[in-house]
Amino acid sequence: MPLDDFTTSAPLTMGVELELQLLDTLDLDLTPRAEDLLRLLQRHSGAWDVKPEITRSMIEIGTSVHRAHAPLRDELHDLCQQLSRGARKLNLCIGGGGTHPFQHWSEQQIFPSDRFHYISELYGYLAKQFTVFGQHVHIGVPSGDDALWLLHALSRYVPHFIALSASSPYVQGEDTGFHSARLNSVFAFPLAGRAPFVLGWDDFGLYFDKMTATGVVQSMKDFYWDIRPKPEFGTIELRVCDTPLTVDKAAALACYLQSLCRYLREERPFEPEEDDYMVYTFNRFQACRFGLDGEVVNPKTHERVKLRDDIMRTLARVAEHALDLQATAATDHIRDSLFGGNDASWLRECRRGGMSMPALVEASSARWMM
Amino acid sequence: MASSVTPQLNILPDAPALHWFTAPLDVDPVLGLALAMLIAVVVANALHRLLRLPRLVSHMLVGALASPPALGLLQRTDLDLWKPLIDLAIAVLVFELGSRLRPRWLLDNRWLALSCMLEALFAAAAAGTALVAMGAPLAAAVLAAAVAASTSPIIVIASVHDLRPRGQVSERLMMMCAMNSVLAMLAIKVWPLLGLAGQGTLVNDTWRWASSALFVFCGSFLLGLAGGWVLDWASRLSRHPASLSVLQLSLVMLSATLASYWALSPLLTLLIAGVTARSLMGQRLTVETGLGSAGAALTVLLFVCMGLLFTIDGWLQLWPWVLVLIGARFAGKALAVALLAWPSGLGWRQALALALALQPMSSLAVLLVLADFGWSSQLPGADATLLQALLVAGTLMQLSGPLWVQFALQRVAGECPKEPSHATG
Repeated sequence: MPLDDFTTSAPLTMGVELELQLLDTLDLDLTPRAEDLLRLLQRHSGAWDVKPEITRSMIEIGTSVHRAHAPLRDELHDLCQQLSRGARKLNLCIGGGGTHPFQHWSEQQIFPSDRFHYISELYGYLAKQFTVFGQHVHIGVPSGDDALWLLHALSRYVPHFIALSASSPYVQGEDTGFHSARLNSVFAFPLAGRAPFVLGWDDFGLYFDKMTATGVVQSMKDFYWDIRPKPEFGTIELRVCDTPLTVDKAAALACYLQSLCRYLREERPFEPEEDDYMVYTFNRFQACRFGLDGEVVNPKTHERVKLRDDIMRTLARVAEHALDLQATAATDHIRDSLFGGNDASWLRECRRGGMSMPALVEASSARWMM
Repeated sequence: MASSVTPQLNILPDAPALHWFTAPLDVDPVLGLALAMLIAVVVANALHRLLRLPRLVSHMLVGALASPPALGLLQRTDLDLWKPLIDLAIAVLVFELGSRLRPRWLLDNRWLALSCMLEALFAAAAAGTALVAMGAPLAAAVLAAAVAASTSPIIVIASVHDLRPRGQVSERLMMMCAMNSVLAMLAIKVWPLLGLAGQGTLVNDTWRWASSALFVFCGSFLLGLAGGWVLDWASRLSRHPASLSVLQLSLVMLSATLASYWALSPLLTLLIAGVTARSLMGQRLTVETGLGSAGAALTVLLFVCMGLLFTIDGWLQLWPWVLVLIGARFAGKALAVALLAWPSGLGWRQALALALALQPMSSLAVLLVLADFGWSSQLPGADATLLQALLVAGTLMQLSGPLWVQFALQRVAGECPKEPSHATG
């Protein structure tokens, strides 16, 4: 199958996808009820979309296209309210967080669809271990060339989004020591990681053709890259964020990305290079492992800096762009979370206070539901 | 059985070892029941491996085989001695059922609340109307209808232990089962009023029975609330995790005993105690009672005893009554569930599964208002023929109950995890 033409879309428009946990109200474990909730939400009144994910204990919601923070946040609130109402009707809880703290992967059931059965057969147990929950943010770009330039320019900032959104310290009942353990599950997939350093859409098409000729991939969906172009939407898609514990945080992260993209596109502070990726996996690891306290290396200057400080500096650089995009409330939210800590820190704080794992899930679900 | 063996053993009267051997065959009720339980466990596991037969069915079958109409290993009157332990087994399961319920769900989903009421009412109305149409006396038909409204909470919760389902159908099943059992219990409490119809004292008696029912309802409710609160309070004082199951068991015994002592409803008391404990303690309350092997033994004992109480006496004469009762009950429950399936958020296949899973019939509502297992002696005025038909229907629907639930939850609703192939039970 050849690569789709890149659809033109308005620059810096944005949309958010969130993968959410379906929880049993009794023991707060994951529960395979996606079909029930999807059936109930068929006639919802919003412009947003809700669809299944790989296992039956997950759903994915997607907002409509937005230009500014306030309408995006309002739509996420509406979505959250309707989803919560539907969930309560079915005796369910819904929660954010990048991983469920104590679910067992082998108990998960693959959602009955051709695509998910294909993935399950191809990847075996990895498919069930992929019961992890992420936030994807789409940013509109006018052309394929623009998409690839922005994709590679953003690679330096990937650790920001990992650390800010990190909400998956617990896996299978244990504290992993990571702030975002979710990405370790994603990294197990053979086509995960970063996109090849190609800056032209035609060259990218050649790469795609070679890959499809090997039979390894069939479509762009088979690439589990941290950032990937989405030609049918005319966007690039950032996929490294854990699903936050609140929709306000989800909206703030999306608008921080939008402001950053505007800064990169309009000021062109540097040109992306292949060498940027020399420190990419190190920086990524630091963000996953230590969150905002991680240290990242600047690929140009080789300077080491705390992620928290790097984000502070970046917020200062994008401030004007955030103002123009009406996203200052979002960047303020991000700034506050630098001092208040990310969701992983909140979860650990609760555990230190003596909360059991189910009580922890109940408390984090209470933050998500409205 | 014992008498047929003993003369042969007397051939060697001086052999001390054989004297020792003859003693157990005198079938002491305790040893007889212990033996029945042992056989029940072994047989249940074997049949489960070979035929996927629910273990609960095998437990009841072994009990039925040991009963007087079959091998006569045990007498039904033997069970009166065991009633406190059987009551405890029932109480533990009913408390657990309560602790699995979230009453707030009925407010979040009003259609579900209506569905819970209607399935009990439709089943009772269908069964009662059908029996009256066949010529049954009104009072007896109403009693049968009240029993027909309920689903066995014991079979439901024990099946849930066995199958470990997750989904809408199993959760609604537990909610409906609790609701219809309470409604049936209340109906049976006021049922004697019917027998007084036409008598001059009806007004006074109505007031007396209504106030009695109100006392039972409110008293049980308050006692259940107090029980749940005490468990929460005691568990905060005693933080050791191992002590929680002991506290739970003590609370269950205390609540059930007080309910009986004050002539309240142990069923309602324990359900409310479970619900209250869950809402106050949240995740501190373990879902299952945590009684481990003792809890499992109690469940086996309960189901063996249920088998012992089975009767199909008079089946050849009563089968039309029995079939009409079972059929009308099924139709009533299925109709109510189907009517409100869509607005309450249930798919058609799930609605079918729920209607099937609601079929295990319960004599629990009756048993818990009686002092022993002699139904007919304690329900004066009940038509003996219809009562026997009700008992036969109860026997059939209890014995087949775990099969209905397993088929519904596993095959139709698909809510049970696949069992590993090496499962040994």
